[in-house]
Amino acid sequence: MYISTRWLSRHVDLDGLDAHELAQQLTLSTCEIEGVEPFAPHLSAVRVGHVVSREPHPDADKLSVCRVDIGEDEPLQIVCGAPNVAAGQRVAVATVGTVLPGDFKIKKSKIRGVESRGMICSERELELGDDHSGIWVLPEDAAIGEGVREALGLEDWVLEVDNKSLTHRPDLWGHRGVAREVAAITGRKLLDLDLSGPPTGSEPPPPVRIESAACSRYLGLVIEGARSERAPLWMRMLLLAVGQRPIDLLVDLSNFVMLDLGQPNHLFDQSALSPEGIVVRRAHPGESMTTLDGEERSLEPSDLVICSGDQPVALAGIMGAEGSKVGAGTERLLLEVATFDPAVVRRTSARLGLRTDSSARFEKHLDPTLPLQAAGHFARLLRELEPGVSFPAQLADVGEWSDPATTLELRPERVRRALGGELSDDEQASLLERLGFGVRREGECLRVEVPSARATKDVTIEQDLIEEIGRLYRYGNLPEAPLVGTIRPPAPDPTRRMVRQIQDRLAGDARFHEVKSYSFQARDLHRRLGLDELEYVTVINPVAEGLERVRRDVLPSLLAVAELGRRHRDDVRLFEVGKGYRPECAGESGEPGEVHQVALLWAGPPPGQDAPYDQARFWRLRGVVEDLLRFLERDGVGFVPLDPPPPWAHPVKCLEIRLGEQPVGLVAELDPGAAPRLGLEGELESDVACAVLDLGALLAVPARTAAYRPIPRFPGVKVDVAILAPGDLPAGELAAAIEAAGKGVVADLDLFDLYRGESLGAGKKSLAWHVLLQSEKKTLTDKDAQKFLGRVERAVEKLGAELRRA
Amino acid sequence: MTDIQTLAEKARAEVAAAADEEALKAIERAYTGKDGVVAGLLAAIPTLDPSERRAAGIAANGLKQTVLEAIGSRREELAAGALAARRSGEGFDPTLPAPRPSRGSLHPLTRVTRELEDLFASMGYEVLDGPEVELGHYNFEALNIPADHPARDSQDTFFIDPEAHLVLRTHTSPVQVRAMERLEPPFRAIAPGKVFRQESTDASHDHTFYQMEGLVIGEDISVAHLIGAMKTLLRGIFGRELEVRLRPGYFPFVEPGFELDARCPFCEEGCSVCKRTTWIELLPCGLVHPAVLRAGGLDPERWSGFAFGLGLSRLVMLRYGIDDVRHLMGGDLRFLEQF
Ligand SMILES: [Zn+2]
Repeated sequence: MYISTRWLSRHVDLDGLDAHELAQQLTLSTCEIEGVEPFAPHLSAVRVGHVVSREPHPDADKLSVCRVDIGEDEPLQIVCGAPNVAAGQRVAVATVGTVLPGDFKIKKSKIRGVESRGMICSERELELGDDHSGIWVLPEDAAIGEGVREALGLEDWVLEVDNKSLTHRPDLWGHRGVAREVAAITGRKLLDLDLSGPPTGSEPPPPVRIESAACSRYLGLVIEGARSERAPLWMRMLLLAVGQRPIDLLVDLSNFVMLDLGQPNHLFDQSALSPEGIVVRRAHPGESMTTLDGEERSLEPSDLVICSGDQPVALAGIMGAEGSKVGAGTERLLLEVATFDPAVVRRTSARLGLRTDSSARFEKHLDPTLPLQAAGHFARLLRELEPGVSFPAQLADVGEWSDPATTLELRPERVRRALGGELSDDEQASLLERLGFGVRREGECLRVEVPSARATKDVTIEQDLIEEIGRLYRYGNLPEAPLVGTIRPPAPDPTRRMVRQIQDRLAGDARFHEVKSYSFQARDLHRRLGLDELEYVTVINPVAEGLERVRRDVLPSLLAVAELGRRHRDDVRLFEVGKGYRPECAGESGEPGEVHQVALLWAGPPPGQDAPYDQARFWRLRGVVEDLLRFLERDGVGFVPLDPPPPWAHPVKCLEIRLGEQPVGLVAELDPGAAPRLGLEGELESDVACAVLDLGALLAVPARTAAYRPIPRFPGVKVDVAILAPGDLPAGELAAAIEAAGKGVVADLDLFDLYRGESLGAGKKSLAWHVLLQSEKKTLTDKDAQKFLGRVERAVEKLGAELRRA
Repeated sequence: MTDIQTLAEKARAEVAAAADEEALKAIERAYTGKDGVVAGLLAAIPTLDPSERRAAGIAANGLKQTVLEAIGSRREELAAGALAARRSGEGFDPTLPAPRPSRGSLHPLTRVTRELEDLFASMGYEVLDGPEVELGHYNFEALNIPADHPARDSQDTFFIDPEAHLVLRTHTSPVQVRAMERLEPPFRAIAPGKVFRQESTDASHDHTFYQMEGLVIGEDISVAHLIGAMKTLLRGIFGRELEVRLRPGYFPFVEPGFELDARCPFCEEGCSVCKRTTWIELLPCGLVHPAVLRAGGLDPERWSGFAFGLGLSRLVMLRYGIDDVRHLMGGDLRFLEQF
């Protein structure tokens, strides 16, 4: 919303108060002022000229050659195309070098052979209206040679208010209310304004019937003899300053009253109304109307409409119907000033996406005593501007409403305790009085009368009064106090602790980069990963089509950026700690089940045919997971094939991670069929491994308690074991056989080579381990090692394999 | 005799010419070894006239002594030279690049959130968590924002259902009432987390960002306490004292409500961060509204409190000078690697 300082000074004396200072004061006590801009600064450069003479252009019928006095030695010769230019007029002259709105620079020119040194401006060229039928003719007393802005007294500053900071202040949606606030803050006097009801006549009031409680008050004032001409310059300029386009007197006056007092109002052509008169009702099912903006609106029974008889002529509090516009020649008018239910107006305007200056105000709980004041204000202003108007009928004033003015109890001690400052009772009372509250002392308490303009919604409890006192006293004047009290160490939070451990381990030793992703996952991503058919929590108003799904799992968010990563880096290691939502596991109140996960992704160029098996990222990532679980002090880590694997995973290279019997996650290679759908092909062909750990499941498994094993007392002996085995014999079985052959002295078993090659014979593979033999009872020797190898040889023979002696 | 002296001269010259330990060892062997010069001299003694034997023995041993001493001092000389050579740093080029260890990274949001969590935990605040998919009750009604309240407009809510039974939380404030339900007053708590706003995105707005809620509940908690706590918070964030100002701000769940501005930490006379005002709008805050206390099961006549909301994403941007909020959620390694 915009506030004009020139407009404000109609209500409060602003003499000597700089606009920036005013903005600062309002920001610190009332509402946020986001900007302070001069009104139409370009009008200072445009000068008042006096048309000394006007001659027809020798070579063009529609042009005239004017000599214009702008207060300099010689009048300027200006070629003008406007039909209404005449000698004797005061006009707005843009001289050579002046820059008009739209970066339009005036140059010396020759028009059809005649020199022209400037331009006589129309209102449109000065951005003061749409009129470009002719030049702007200024008042006759405008001082020749002065800037138009100064000569016409148009100096004004426009304050831009952050509307959010006015959400709770219906009284500040007009200049009078802001002026009341300024008066209270600065201690200046609020100027008197006649706010009595309108003059009326003897005819019976216009018929008005309210059929819905959503309209608590409806005033109808009949106006006769108003010619719809232009509003006066001062009013047009004030409207322009706050961003309203002047139209004609009646429309401008209607807007002016709204922006002055904050009360929207509407004009109907009384003679076009049904004899049944105005009926305020809810819309019928299936009913529709075309609003002033030409849009056909289908209505719902929750909407409130103003009808002429049964014909809707306005959406209550929002916008009139097409064709209901009053204009020149409307002899008899009906002025509507009403109070509507804020929620009803808000719902309709939100549903139709139709926000107007009127609806913005009605949404804020307007004071029901305001319509009578606004009707009176409208009538008096109109009569001032058009002395010929009359108000032949009695005022229609129907509806059931009550004055919201109320009395609240305020405990001054409570104020001091809440603000933490030493404000005396008297100080508190005087601050409230400055704001227009009535204050009476009653024992330990103050009885505070809240005026109706503040009482509709904003000031209803003691805390609201505390706010009033605090903001007028200025929060900056309050002291600062330390929080006192016993500090208990916060309760231990195992989840948060584990998250930190995981983040540190992964970002540190494992060299992964932490990602934070949106909780939305694209439907398209789910399609690519085969996750489209699952059930999702969805939002009904997504930022973009296809982005309505809230993720079930974190991992797809990482898969979505794998290609981006690979495009710029060879080695891509990402992890995210985050949440997923599962609608099928809804809780008591219908909230979806929440999972808390760690997802890991490792992508890089394929390792190549001859690379050792454990160069594949699947194995390396599994190593990271094992290390992480060891770091988290979780024992009993095991991996078993996951059946069925998730659709994005390799059908075979997909293992469930277990702690004992408890599944805690999975580690898998990305399915080679899915990779190209993620853009990982061609130059970006990648070896991709993924893992997921469920934090809830991890926390359910207790951490190991004793981690220490005694340091060996006797030196061990190292021996390599190489085995030639059938290709399909699992390495795990061989490892178990080796371990068994050690009879309890195998302290470490490290597979360092795995090889398949034609030289070995078809369907064979060779495996080799570094083995450390160590006893707790004695020093082991080469002789022990040889005996061990002998046992290994016999054991693996039973598995169809053979020990290869060096 | 002259023989011995000549030999000693020769040995000294050889020792002086020896360039390394190996050469010294060779000389030592040549003179004092089993088949060395000294051994040869001693072996020849029985052939000498008995009167000369004693002197010859002394001379031979003298030669051995001389050689060993010369070697000893030459050895020291060589060691000192080697140390000096190593210390001279010849060929050292300080502009050569150091090898880069590859490493991972913590997200900047994690870094800043942890700092704040630790700061608050040290002052007795619990760190709480709340769901991202939230009941409308906690996001709105319990926070004194009933249906049709105009403040709902400014929330730009993502709705799961038209009745707003479930929404994506628009702020971390729902944790306020959840905390009151769970914790025994008095208490202090913060709740960092992800929040959502249905709005179009640009360099300074994203539909998903991070906030941190703060809540202190006790008896006689006042605006003065709020100011004190916020100053402590700012000291923790910016590492120095910043002037602050409170001005009215409207949030239905606090009364009175404020916007807290801090003097721009980046300039003295206005810059792009503070939009030339020298103030940066840092956190909305206020005293907890009695309706919210009641929704959390607390008696507003006995308990009072203050609450604040800190824009973590914005703070991260300020801290690291990030010019586009969307980087935070973009998963781009070229961004992440920098932290
Ligand atoms: Zn600055």
